Amino acid sequence: MPKMLIVDDEQDIQDFAKRFFEKRDIDVITTGNGHEALLIVQTENPDMILLDVHMEQISGIDVLRRIRESGNQTKVIMVTGVEDEDTINEAKSLGVINYIHKPLVLDELEKVVMAELDVA
Amino acid sequence: MSIFTVFSFFVFVTNASLAIFIFLKNRRKKYNVIWGSLCFFAALWGYAGINFSTTLSPQKALYWWKIGYVGVILTPLLYFHFITEYLKIERKVLLCTAYGLAAFYLTIDLLYTDLFLSDLRFAFNQFYWGDWLKSKSLYYITFYIFFYWVLLPYSFVLLLKKYRRVKGNQKNQLKYFIVGSIVGWFGAECMFLPDFRLDFFHPLPNLFVAIYPAIMTYAIIRYRLMDITMAFTRTSIFLFVYSLVLGIPFAIGFGLQEKLIALFAGLWWVVPLVFSTILATGGPFIYMYLQKSTEDQIYKNQRQYQNTLRKASLGMGRIKDLKRLLSLIVHVVTRTVRIDHCSIYVFHESSGQYVLKAKKDKSVERVAESVFTKDSQLVKYLEKVKEPILYEEVLQRSGETGGRIFGYLAKTMRDLEAALILPSFVEQRLIAFLVLGAKRNKELYNHEDLVVFSILANQSGLAIENAQFYDDMKKTHAQLFKAEKMATIGTMADGLSHQMNNRLHAMGFIAGDALDSVRLKRDQDKPTDTRKFLDELEHSLKRIEDNVKRGGEIAEGLLRYTRKGAEGFSPVHFNKLLDASLEMIQFKINMRNLDLIKDFKDDLPPVKGNFTQLQEAFFNMIDNAYDAMMQRRDELKEPGYRPKLIISAAKKGKNLEILIKDNGMGVKEENITKLFTPFFTTKLSSKKGTGLGLYVIRQIIEENHNGRVKFTSVYLEGSQTSIILPVAELSGQGKKEKPEILLKNVKKFL
Repeated sequence: MPKMLIVDDEQDIQDFAKRFFEKRDIDVITTGNGHEALLIVQTENPDMILLDVHMEQISGIDVLRRIRESGNQTKVIMVTGVEDEDTINEAKSLGVINYIHKPLVLDELEKVVMAELDVA
Repeated sequence: MSIFTVFSFFVFVTNASLAIFIFLKNRRKKYNVIWGSLCFFAALWGYAGINFSTTLSPQKALYWWKIGYVGVILTPLLYFHFITEYLKIERKVLLCTAYGLAAFYLTIDLLYTDLFLSDLRFAFNQFYWGDWLKSKSLYYITFYIFFYWVLLPYSFVLLLKKYRRVKGNQKNQLKYFIVGSIVGWFGAECMFLPDFRLDFFHPLPNLFVAIYPAIMTYAIIRYRLMDITMAFTRTSIFLFVYSLVLGIPFAIGFGLQEKLIALFAGLWWVVPLVFSTILATGGPFIYMYLQKSTEDQIYKNQRQYQNTLRKASLGMGRIKDLKRLLSLIVHVVTRTVRIDHCSIYVFHESSGQYVLKAKKDKSVERVAESVFTKDSQLVKYLEKVKEPILYEEVLQRSGETGGRIFGYLAKTMRDLEAALILPSFVEQRLIAFLVLGAKRNKELYNHEDLVVFSILANQSGLAIENAQFYDDMKKTHAQLFKAEKMATIGTMADGLSHQMNNRLHAMGFIAGDALDSVRLKRDQDKPTDTRKFLDELEHSLKRIEDNVKRGGEIAEGLLRYTRKGAEGFSPVHFNKLLDASLEMIQFKINMRNLDLIKDFKDDLPPVKGNFTQLQEAFFNMIDNAYDAMMQRRDELKEPGYRPKLIISAAKKGKNLEILIKDNGMGVKEENITKLFTPFFTTKLSSKKGTGLGLYVIRQIIEENHNGRVKFTSVYLEGSQTSIILPVAELSGQGKKEKPEILLKNVKKFL
């Protein structure tokens, strides 16, 4: 069963994304904390990370950078707010497979995730 | 020298002045000439009177009596002639007979005086004609009866008959003639009494002959031939006071002469002199006191409303709200003066028109003209004379030669059903005018009214200007406040749009998941009603998703808009740019109020530019056009008017030419050059205009984008803004956007 980490400080998003992907037989771990996310990446070794850029304590970009610094090359989909060239460019250089604008349509996210995880 | 001499002198002076006055004023009308001649011959009587009452030679006295009788013979005839002419009554036979007889009696009087006037007797300290009981002249008695007992009473009958029939101003004028004539002819008739040895009246009647022109002149000059009661009262009081002032010392002098001589010997005359000095000093005060108290009594009601108006005029300056002020003015005027209707037209600076701003009218059918241009005859005339215009007066003058302007004014006033128009001037500028209907009791406006109204009008003017100034200030304040608020919102927009976006994002997840659950449930076999229910649920959730997406676009647009010009230049497609501008503008204006016509092809070449800046420029242009169209709709209120905005674009050489054309209010020629000045605005309603719009447009297009802006406008027809922007040079076709893998908002770039 593929494993997916969702990093988002919105509790609603954690809950509903988890419910949604679990229905598709994906193991979903959620956290709203960047530091915790780093630990989970090391311990759980997820197949994919859905990472929100805008977070309270530590930004999604910083989390991504630290993941890459630790040599981890897990597939990452960034969730960005309104188009922000600098953030996107940095995300690009840190090797994200895709970025997605807020707010999203869940069907579309599903297609990307499913394609990348090679399920369905 | 006797009192008769003094009175004769008065007769001469007053009549001669009136004759001169009439001849100078208007000689074109026949009845004016006749009336002037009448005055002239009455003056001749006065002049003769001075002479025959001062000579001690019977021959000389007779000579002057003879001359004086030229006046005595001709005045009743001219009076009759005047009446027929003025009332437009044909009495040819009688008139010719009278002229014939007058010629006959004049001949006798001048050439055969003995047959007419003879037997002067020494009475009242002078040689007085006459003694008809002694002369028994047949000529004289026939003349006297025909002219003074047939012609004169007949004239009166005509006058009174007419008086009962007419209305309005002419009735008032007739009132003058009647009262003046009664006074004058009473004097004249009484003067005949001594001829029949009835001496009791002499010499007072002659004074009446002097008074009547005074009444007429006073009335004509001071009261513009309007209300005689006032003129008559004042004249009577004046004459009463001054007959006291002159009469008492004379009476003392003549009646008590012997006693005074006994008491003061040679200095007896000092007593009447002292009296006359005291009385003459006191005279004006007595006069003023009497005038005030009498008039207060007579014009109690009128005074009351005049006082109310005066107080209202003074209180007006304190009202700062223009609309309230104007409705107060019309309200006060209609209520206190008791008139049918009243309206006020105020000068509207930017349109150069006088616009109906407040109206009070009992009748709903009356439709008043809503605007008068600065070039209209009415406004021009008001600016020229700077005085109230009375309908009655205008109507009368419209018949005169060169009265075309009055004809026009009469028509205008008739259309407005106006009895009086009052201009309001502030420092020579006509800033408003009041249109007043007729008084409900059908009385006419008199001079006193006009004085009070003029105060009211001018106070209104000042108050209106104050209120306008205050209004402007409030608007400026509101604008500044708004600009400040906009700036604050601008700084908040960044955070706000993120927050909103996050909420939408969460909603997207929730809706998406719910939708997913619904779909999963539906796939299994279910009863039809459950399926139907799930279908509906799915539909609703999809709508939520659509709205989430749409909300996200708005938040994004807002954020882009506030982050001005951060990005650099790139090829900008006009249709995308226009869509983005329209997207933003719809938060400010209601697009349903206008017809938008897009007139350009889809394959226009992109221009080189900064998307956000250009978006702001077009935002401002559409906003301006919209305001101009709304202004036209609200101010002109044309039936069937529909705002229409045409946006066209086409490639012209190396440029893209864009035209934005509206059918709004337009801008006056003198204002077009000022339009690009910062803080200049022609927008009047309080919510509008920082005066920065066009300035910003020019900055963006010309300074930043190397383009050109041209603004043309026809007042009351519409405006057109033309924008020329250089087309972007496409460096290689390979720079085309990569095809998107995911739908719309997920972009793959690896």
